[in-house]
Amino acid sequence: MTRVACVWVDAFVAAAAERAEPALREHPLAVVTGAAPATRVVEANAPARERGIRPGIPDAAAVARCPQLIRRPVSPACAEAARRALLDACYGVSPRLEDVAPGLVHVDAAGLGRLVGGDAAIAERLGRAARAVGLPARVGVAGTRAAARIAARAGLGVIVAGGEAQALAPVPVATLDWPADIAHALGRWGVATLGELASLPRAGLAARLGAAGLAAHDLARGMDDPAPWTSWTPPPFWEEAQELDWEIDALGPLVAVLERVLERLTARLSAAHLLADTLELRLALTGGGHHARTLALASPMDAPRPLLTLLEHDLGARPPQGAVTAVALQASPVPRRAVPGRLGRSAPPAERDLATVLARLVTLVGVEGVGAVALADSHRPDAFLPARLVLDVAPETPRPAGDAVLALRRLRPPRRVRVTTDGERRPALVYGALAAEARVVGCAGPWRVSGEWWDAAAWARDEWDVALSDGAVCRLARDLRAGEWYLDGVYD
Amino acid sequence: MFSLRTMTPTSRVRAGTITEIVGELSSGRTSLMTACLRDVTAAGGMAALVDADGAFDPGSAARAGVVLAHLLWVRCGGRREAALAATDLLARCPGWALVALDAGETPPRVSLGAAFRLRQAARRAGVALLLVGRRRVAGAGATLAVRTRRDALAWAGSRHAPTRLAGMSTRVQVLRNQGASPSAVFGAPSGAMEEQQWWTA
Repeated sequence: MTRVACVWVDAFVAAAAERAEPALREHPLAVVTGAAPATRVVEANAPARERGIRPGIPDAAAVARCPQLIRRPVSPACAEAARRALLDACYGVSPRLEDVAPGLVHVDAAGLGRLVGGDAAIAERLGRAARAVGLPARVGVAGTRAAARIAARAGLGVIVAGGEAQALAPVPVATLDWPADIAHALGRWGVATLGELASLPRAGLAARLGAAGLAAHDLARGMDDPAPWTSWTPPPFWEEAQELDWEIDALGPLVAVLERVLERLTARLSAAHLLADTLELRLALTGGGHHARTLALASPMDAPRPLLTLLEHDLGARPPQGAVTAVALQASPVPRRAVPGRLGRSAPPAERDLATVLARLVTLVGVEGVGAVALADSHRPDAFLPARLVLDVAPETPRPAGDAVLALRRLRPPRRVRVTTDGERRPALVYGALAAEARVVGCAGPWRVSGEWWDAAAWARDEWDVALSDGAVCRLARDLRAGEWYLDGVYD
Repeated sequence: MFSLRTMTPTSRVRAGTITEIVGELSSGRTSLMTACLRDVTAAGGMAALVDADGAFDPGSAARAGVVLAHLLWVRCGGRREAALAATDLLARCPGWALVALDAGETPPRVSLGAAFRLRQAARRAGVALLLVGRRRVAGAGATLAVRTRRDALAWAGSRHAPTRLAGMSTRVQVLRNQGASPSAVFGAPSGAMEEQQWWTA
């Protein structure tokens, strides 16, 4: 049985502005566009609408009706972030969504009953998820997308299966946005409710209003249009942005803005049960320049406070070269996984503690000096790659205690040395290794290794394990392409 | 007998204490530290290695059984004071089963007061702290201190022209073991202060 939930945010542009500045919720707010004196209201929040502010009226008229009116310019970045936030919130409830319009999302609720509960529970869950990302949404659940959409806008809530036409009948026609000619015709005919519209003869509507009339008739009966469901796919990166009304040239105010942006981004991640793996900061600067930083988090997280600490430390170490006019944060997410607790073993470091320690370590030794590594898929000596520190890997079987491996202490970069060889072309004297000069007292080799001969980065070398007269046991390498000797490392 | 197993954090290298491994270069001190990292990470614990010189070799560590994904590697580029500060930071963070400082050939000077503060931090966080270097730095702040010495080398291949280092035998000597008798350390009543360990190259 098909069940569709519709999540709808009233006055979406104003809701997006309120989301960026939550303190505006209690005040009459109008989002305006256009340069003075042609500035017009685009959207108004509920307190402003109570005072007669309507979309389309001139800015001057709006101020005359409500002197306390707060006005904000239209911000496409805020609106887009809010649209994405609503989708993210719904994605945490169901993986099958349809992005219909800004502030309007269809959610496939079929099969959610066993996970969430009944239709009312699904509606409540969706509303809570939307509120968690700062958007007050109304939710309708019905058997069709059209009925669910009307139920959300009219505040009907859940419509039982098969009862769409009866449930929609008392809904006033004015609740929905109609094309101008349809609205005019319905007004002339005295049609006040969807039930009255549904009772009109279909053939007559088609003769007078054409295809638009038939679509209006279908809508009034809660029947879907034939358009297929277009599933929304979450992008690999999650972004939250904010444009600034004023330029910021100090770290303190910038951190305050970043805190708000981070809170919104992490709320979205939490709603979708995701964690940020890397964080990318982009600051638009005066003069058209940009300041971009990428923070590879040692541990995925969604807590705003440690992330803010990381950003603060990074900006303190590498401040932007100019005043900031816009802020954008992008996170590449990974699924949240539960860390299994085991009897008798302490839990891994808490995300908050770990992030704070890592931020301080980065300040201390630099971002390149901190992190986990993984072996690269190469035979090239000392080949490894940065990797993510994993807190939740199942333990491996411990190896037997007797199976102990000799460790090598690497010299990075390998130290160039001078080597004299004996009659059998084996190293005899080494100059410039650990001592100025050392005699070779034990020697094994050569062990010839090479790789990537098909590429410009081809390498080939002979490795020698040597015991020196100064007590060190070293690995020497002779680069076969350059003919140079290097001290690769010391066995210890 | 003294063995690697007795060096695991669940036995000799205990949480909330400082353990020191000292020895000259090529004496096996780094191999002993790697074995401790292996024991911790293979059991699912989290370990951190503060590498003063950036000498850690992930390849040989992985061969030894260290789970690299469970190991935080902090490279200090030869700055001893930064290495000490990083160790102090990590020792104050609960959740690490083992924090190791590889101080290399020139360990930093640590006052006795600083060593005791470090031990106190490790005790509060429940972290096992392992200090590895050429000489001891924690003094009386360390609960256990051992010295490694190379015993013998073995070569692989023909006797006249060996092709590879086969392994190294080292001796591990207990210098300090606060609150335990030598027999408790070695598990044998002989009172011998040394034990031999073989490392495969």
